[in-house]
Amino acid sequence: MQNVVERVINLLIYLLDSPSPVTAEQVRQTVAGYGEQSDDAFHRMFERDKDLLKRMGVPLELKAMDKWEIDFGYTVDPDEYAIPDPRLTEQERVALSVAARMVRLGGANAGLAGLLKLGGVEVGAGIEPLAADLGAEAAVLGDLFLAVSERRKLEFEYGGSTRFLDPYGIAHRRGHWYLIGQTADGERVYRVDRIAGLEVGKQAGAFVRPKRFHVKQAMSTHPWEAGTDETVDATVRFDPDVAWWAARHLGAEAPEHGPLEVELPVANRDAFIGWVLGFGPDAEVLAPAELREQVLARVEAAVQAAG
Amino acid sequence: MTSDRTATRLSRILALIPYVLAKDGAKVSEILERFGYTEAELTRDLNTVFFCGLPGYTPGDLMEAYIDGDEVIIDAADYFARAPRLTSMEALGLMAAGMAILGSGQGSPELGKAVDKLTKALLPDAGTAVDVDVSGDSANLAALKSAAIERRVVRITYRSLSHEEETVREIEPWAVVTTLGNWYVQGYCRMVDAERVFRVDRIRRMDVLDEEFERPENLTEPGIGYTPSDDDIAARIRLSPRARWVLDYYPVDVLKETKTGTEIRFTSPDAEIPARLLLRLGPEARLLEGDEVRERLVAIAGTLRARYR
Repeated sequence: MQNVVERVINLLIYLLDSPSPVTAEQVRQTVAGYGEQSDDAFHRMFERDKDLLKRMGVPLELKAMDKWEIDFGYTVDPDEYAIPDPRLTEQERVALSVAARMVRLGGANAGLAGLLKLGGVEVGAGIEPLAADLGAEAAVLGDLFLAVSERRKLEFEYGGSTRFLDPYGIAHRRGHWYLIGQTADGERVYRVDRIAGLEVGKQAGAFVRPKRFHVKQAMSTHPWEAGTDETVDATVRFDPDVAWWAARHLGAEAPEHGPLEVELPVANRDAFIGWVLGFGPDAEVLAPAELREQVLARVEAAVQAAG
Repeated sequence: MTSDRTATRLSRILALIPYVLAKDGAKVSEILERFGYTEAELTRDLNTVFFCGLPGYTPGDLMEAYIDGDEVIIDAADYFARAPRLTSMEALGLMAAGMAILGSGQGSPELGKAVDKLTKALLPDAGTAVDVDVSGDSANLAALKSAAIERRVVRITYRSLSHEEETVREIEPWAVVTTLGNWYVQGYCRMVDAERVFRVDRIRRMDVLDEEFERPENLTEPGIGYTPSDDDIAARIRLSPRARWVLDYYPVDVLKETKTGTEIRFTSPDAEIPARLLLRLGPEARLLEGDEVRERLVAIAGTLRARYR
């Protein structure tokens, strides 16, 4: 491992310092640690080392060495290599480090390794009794973040068909990550853990994100607000026993005693009826009449399906 | 495949060099804390750096890296003057962590500023493209968090998830955790004399008492979820593809999976939860086995019919 670390640092220095791209052969003859290898051993070694640098986030690129694009060579642009320095103060870094220790993403503390690159922090914080787990579905999240930040097009499998998307943003809601973007049929939202076979476009800046786009607005707060049904205002009554709890879900003022009656805009009736029925016998849709009938129909269907 | 340990070690070296360069030398003790080094690890990494440099590799081409008294010195490494960029996961992880804590209402003004600066640096033209919302009842969360820090007993009025009935109990809060979209408090419940996990949004009232408790040492990661016991009732349910989301939200066993549906076993301390779930799902789920669940479902349906007709 000693040799690997030394060799890869030397390779990185060579690539950063060379004013123009260099070929694999030049690397072999110039960088310490490659010279004494056989052809096969060198190529395997060089592949592994390139892979390691890329995994660490080093922007290693293969570029044409002449304008006729006959020969290609490797290069690391020093400006691309370096972090755009956010110039955090020590207090800000400490606050971030505490947050990173409290939050888990993909089974690991979120971004603690990244914090070292920003200068690390002198530890000393005690145990925090607060923790957040943002899910284990991290495998594709890095790629999605890259695609969103560099505006690269995406292609993936979802619900049995292939989707093409200009990714506008990602959001975490109610325990899951969502991807929001533009398709040929308009703006769409996808659950990240249901995305398969993700392909990220090669070209950066491949689309324009509308200036007005804001991921918070694109994600509706409640599932029944996101839908294609004609929007109706539904009146619901929650019995005194569950009124406080429903109010908390809705971000509404809880009544001191007595029931809670609210009017809610519904664009996804299916989701809305499901949510109301989750309160069992303690909630009732009062209006419109048509929605009441749909609730009742769902109840009858459930009884029938139970045999 | 190069090991993750190699990547971690390299990553730390490439973060260390610019930090020391920028400060023109740094105290050994500070570097150990800041980068999580032991002294032996630091010495080894500096020795490695000392043998790296520009091709030619004569003494004049190599970097300088050594410990001088209580100071770390690194020089002749201009190409590493700036810290390397974050990987996508590191960048997203840091931003998401900051946003999650801010969203829970437990952040500080410094954290807010840090997240703003990070967003501007990492997403210069997409500042409104990432969002994390784990908001819960911030008053309850804050009170539970301070009770956990001060080790104070809390009396809660709780609407149980499994029985849909309210109880008043005293709990010793150990940790406050969010996972799968809900906030939980993990701790010791004096009513049942055992470790329990409570959903924060189901705590109707809460009083922090003067009494203090002793927190167990070696507290493990809070286990969220539910462990079936022998007294549980079990139901066998067939879900249509449209109802497959149930798998993400309930701790169920998948018995059979085909293109046309998923057969699951649903265990629960009482029939209320599976009965309400079946009610929600309507024609998208079929109860194959579970008399108690069927009885409960029919009873709720009866009440609802009376209300709606």
